[in-house]
Amino acid sequence: MRKAEIGATTALALHSLCAAGLATGYWLSHSLYSSSLITDPAPTLRILTVCEAPVVILLFSWLRRDHDRCSFIKAVARGLIGLPIGALINAFGAIVLGAPVGLKFWPATFYWSMLMSLFTFVPAACVFGASKLDWQQILSYSKPSNIVDYMLSVPAHGAIIGAWLGAWPMPLDWERPWQEWPICVAYGAIAGHLIGMLFSPVLIFLHRRHIRTKTE
Amino acid sequence: MRMRLKAAAAAVLCLHCLGVYLFTRGFLLTRTELSAFSLPSDLLQAQAPCCSDLPSTTDQDLPGWTPPTVERVLILIVDALRFDFVAPSSLFQKKQKWMDRLSSLQHLASTHPSSSRIFKAIADPPTTSLQRLKALTTGGLPTFIDVGNSFAAPAIQEDNWIHQLVHTGRRVVMMGDDTWTQLFPHHFNHSYPYPSFNVKDLHTVDNGVAQHLVPWLHRQDWDVLIGHFLGVDHAGHIFGVDSQPMVQKLEQINAILQNVTDIMNSQKHLENTMLIVMGDHAQTLNGDHGGGTSEEVETCLFAWMPRSLPSSISSIFHPSTCGLGLNGKNICTSTMQQLDFAVSISALLGIPFPFGSIGRVNPELYALSPGSWDRQWLPASFYEDPSSDLKTWKNNYAHVLCINSWQVKRYIDSYSATSVMGFPSDDLHYITKLYNEAQSRWSDSKNSSCKPENGTIDEFSDFLLSFATLARSAWTEFDMKLMGVGLGIFIISIIFHLFVFERVHSLSNVYDNKTQKSSNHLQIYVAFLLVAVRAVSFLSNSYILAEGRVANFLLATTAIGSIRSSLVYGKIKKHDLVFLILIILIRFGIEKGMSKQAATNPFLNYDSGSDFDLKWLPSLFEGHDFVTLLPEISPMIILFLLSFLSCKYITCTVHSRYIKWVVTVGTMLSYLFIATFWLSERSFAPKMVYVIGLSLFVLNFVLRYLGILEKGETVQRLRSLALVMVSAWSPTILILLGKQGPFVVLVCIIAGWSIISSKNKGLLDDCKMDPISVMQWSLLAICLFYQTGHWCTFDGLRYGAAFIGFDEFKVVRQAILLFVDTFGISHILPIFSLPFLVTIPNSSSSKGRDKTVIFLNLTQVYLLYGLITAITTTFTVLCVAIQRRHLMVWGLFAPKYVFDAIGLLLTDVLICVSALYYC
Repeated sequence: MRKAEIGATTALALHSLCAAGLATGYWLSHSLYSSSLITDPAPTLRILTVCEAPVVILLFSWLRRDHDRCSFIKAVARGLIGLPIGALINAFGAIVLGAPVGLKFWPATFYWSMLMSLFTFVPAACVFGASKLDWQQILSYSKPSNIVDYMLSVPAHGAIIGAWLGAWPMPLDWERPWQEWPICVAYGAIAGHLIGMLFSPVLIFLHRRHIRTKTE
Repeated sequence: MRMRLKAAAAAVLCLHCLGVYLFTRGFLLTRTELSAFSLPSDLLQAQAPCCSDLPSTTDQDLPGWTPPTVERVLILIVDALRFDFVAPSSLFQKKQKWMDRLSSLQHLASTHPSSSRIFKAIADPPTTSLQRLKALTTGGLPTFIDVGNSFAAPAIQEDNWIHQLVHTGRRVVMMGDDTWTQLFPHHFNHSYPYPSFNVKDLHTVDNGVAQHLVPWLHRQDWDVLIGHFLGVDHAGHIFGVDSQPMVQKLEQINAILQNVTDIMNSQKHLENTMLIVMGDHAQTLNGDHGGGTSEEVETCLFAWMPRSLPSSISSIFHPSTCGLGLNGKNICTSTMQQLDFAVSISALLGIPFPFGSIGRVNPELYALSPGSWDRQWLPASFYEDPSSDLKTWKNNYAHVLCINSWQVKRYIDSYSATSVMGFPSDDLHYITKLYNEAQSRWSDSKNSSCKPENGTIDEFSDFLLSFATLARSAWTEFDMKLMGVGLGIFIISIIFHLFVFERVHSLSNVYDNKTQKSSNHLQIYVAFLLVAVRAVSFLSNSYILAEGRVANFLLATTAIGSIRSSLVYGKIKKHDLVFLILIILIRFGIEKGMSKQAATNPFLNYDSGSDFDLKWLPSLFEGHDFVTLLPEISPMIILFLLSFLSCKYITCTVHSRYIKWVVTVGTMLSYLFIATFWLSERSFAPKMVYVIGLSLFVLNFVLRYLGILEKGETVQRLRSLALVMVSAWSPTILILLGKQGPFVVLVCIIAGWSIISSKNKGLLDDCKMDPISVMQWSLLAICLFYQTGHWCTFDGLRYGAAFIGFDEFKVVRQAILLFVDTFGISHILPIFSLPFLVTIPNSSSSKGRDKTVIFLNLTQVYLLYGLITAITTTFTVLCVAIQRRHLMVWGLFAPKYVFDAIGLLLTDVLICVSALYYC
């Protein structure tokens, strides 16, 4: 099995590819369109999504769980279907938590939730498909037996916690442009995701050592 | 065990009462407004010692206590006038671009040094316009809480010189800031009010004043003219002091003033008119005001008489700071207290001094009036040297000060006799001694028929200044010791609370032989983490303003967390999704409330357009009848649904037949009356609702102590008790909330149901207390408070609710109704319905449970709820203590403290009542 071969370094490499996708997107928006997240959030988030989506979907389709029954193409398709579903869930969650619903925020909310979907929902959709047991396992976080589980769960939780924390400066009366929805939340999500991606190889490394000492 | 909750709740209540009392004594400066008014005849009737010799003008009918010394007064108030706007720039370290802009005043001050004067006027905090205008007219020290008779209207109830002017038949004209017409709705002969709330509008008020001022100066039918310019204040708020709009504004004011002084110089009828240009308060360089820093309190007062005055006036002026003006001549300034303004202007105009005024007639301002140099008080033969202007003036001034001191002493006696919190008795003794000494010296000098000397003036001044110091310390300074002790008691109560909670918790774990300790501990930590996040958020004013949204955010977080655990343990249940949708609905309600608040609260920059632009929605259905009917009909439908629901649950739950019958009929009747009231506006219907609610509430307790409700299983009994209690209260709360009521109560019921059914997912034991559910319950209560259009300031009270069912105003009755409206949905209902948290879920498994365990769980729930409220309130108290010098302390932190303290005490009382009733 391929997943047994993945070590901490491979995970780090794969994560760096994802991070590179984000960085490319940011660089593109900066140099080509000279737009940043603060000045025009919606186009920037769009570029970020467009750059990140192929990287994430291809990468995690390669890591798919049921290697024998599921082809690469099918995994990619699952990821593509998962993208809008995850976006819908994320947008709903954001609105429950208090994101503005005015018409002028719709584009930004749309691209933000797409990006969040890429951080949280799409990787798991590529890897697991519709397997309920796997989803439950990854959410409960009780027995992360698997290395791919770490790669999915830690950055996704990082993104969600980062976005949650990123919402806190919004009510402050500093009157900075980045306090608008969804700029600081997007920053928080990206930062949390990056930290999660740094953190997951560490956990994988510890996990493997733990297993090794056990077997010895 | 049952005793334990009662005893603990009572102990916590006592501790909190003590803490709130001490902290409030130290922090909330209270002053009682006295309703007495000064009358012209007071001086004679009271046989005041000063009037042993009647004024020489006694043949005329004297309208006031002293003869008027000027004919007219023209008061031009420039809002937020800093001292350095007027004073020459040479007095300051560095010339800034906003200095020396009011050159017309400086020109007058330098060319007429004996008939004009620039004063640095020291205002007392709070430096907000309303409080300052009140202080300027009443001569008192308005505090945060002026205990008085006014309920909602801002109109001044205390004695003031505007009232005295009107009473003595003078004609007062007002133009400018419409706060004046709110404060004095029926006093002005003519008024030209302009709206003051739009801070971004720099010109409407000023142009309005400029337009009416000049025509009125040419007319003769006025005695006092007040013009209030707002542009400088607004320019400061928006652009700051160091800005071009501010300079332009000052130059515009200067042009207006130049025009006014030119007219006053040329018009004969204005020869005996005093011009006063003053600020009500100053501002910081950012344009803020409200606090007590020197930048905010050091405003300016400029006075000028067109007539020339005796040159000996210069010996009355204090040796003062002088600086070179623009034209190279010396300009001198003095310092005065704004507190003295009211009584000084009364002395100038010859009207009775306002009853509550505690200032001293300012000698320099008094000397600027020509009448103060005339012989007023004694037969001419008294003087050996009639040519001495100065002696005449001193004699006059001593008389005025004597009357002034008598009036202040009268106020002190009256205040000590009637007020809620008087002055410390040691200080009172000292003040009385000073007064008696001054008075005896005065009568001695009278009897020996020698003229009153300098010493008398000094002694009276000493008395007046000492009392002003005492009043300031009582009304404007925080007592840090009391505040610290109060805060300490809050912390002790929390430790005690935690200790009791921990004891009960470990006791329940002993009873509970299942192994779920770790999971429950984790939940307690999560719950306390949420409390901590909420509590810490109070340290910032922004989060206090957004408290409703913060609570909603945390509630949503717990709901999402609960969905996550649903996923882990199985499927998503429908109540989880319903709860999420409810949270969205609650959130829209909160945002609507916030946009309403933003209209009145200058601190809240809430862009209502960005969040709630569903305006396109009605246009879709335009022209259909049901759009107009919908807001009318939907409350009725929901009301019907509610009555159906409550009927159903009462019949299902309550087992005693008679009680069931009584409660059902009572509830149905109440709902019927509510519907009648909404359809026909008859005022008997709400009264009936209140009567039914109160009698059901009393009946509950009677039945409880007769033991009629004791039958059945413990769980069932508890549930029916809680249901009866909630049914007794909900119709009253519903009708007070108005048409939004049914919707809110429905949301409340469904949200409560969702919380109860989503609790304890991992736990097998249904009756076990779940800390997260209790936390959700408390967050929901806060959300409901904001959703129903309340917020934590006094204009957030829904005064309309106090008059549902009643037309005439009675303080106690209306206050009770307002209280129930404010705290009903957020405190009374949630706390009385807490037993549902331990009794509702899955009653089949809880049958035959040990009675003790259930009561242990109930005790835990109540203790935890009380603890959550206590912790958040303690943080509010801490935050208020830290931010006591903050700009928004009176606008935001103090009201928040008042609401939280009342809420905390109410929570404690309700927990005590629940402990008596349920256990």
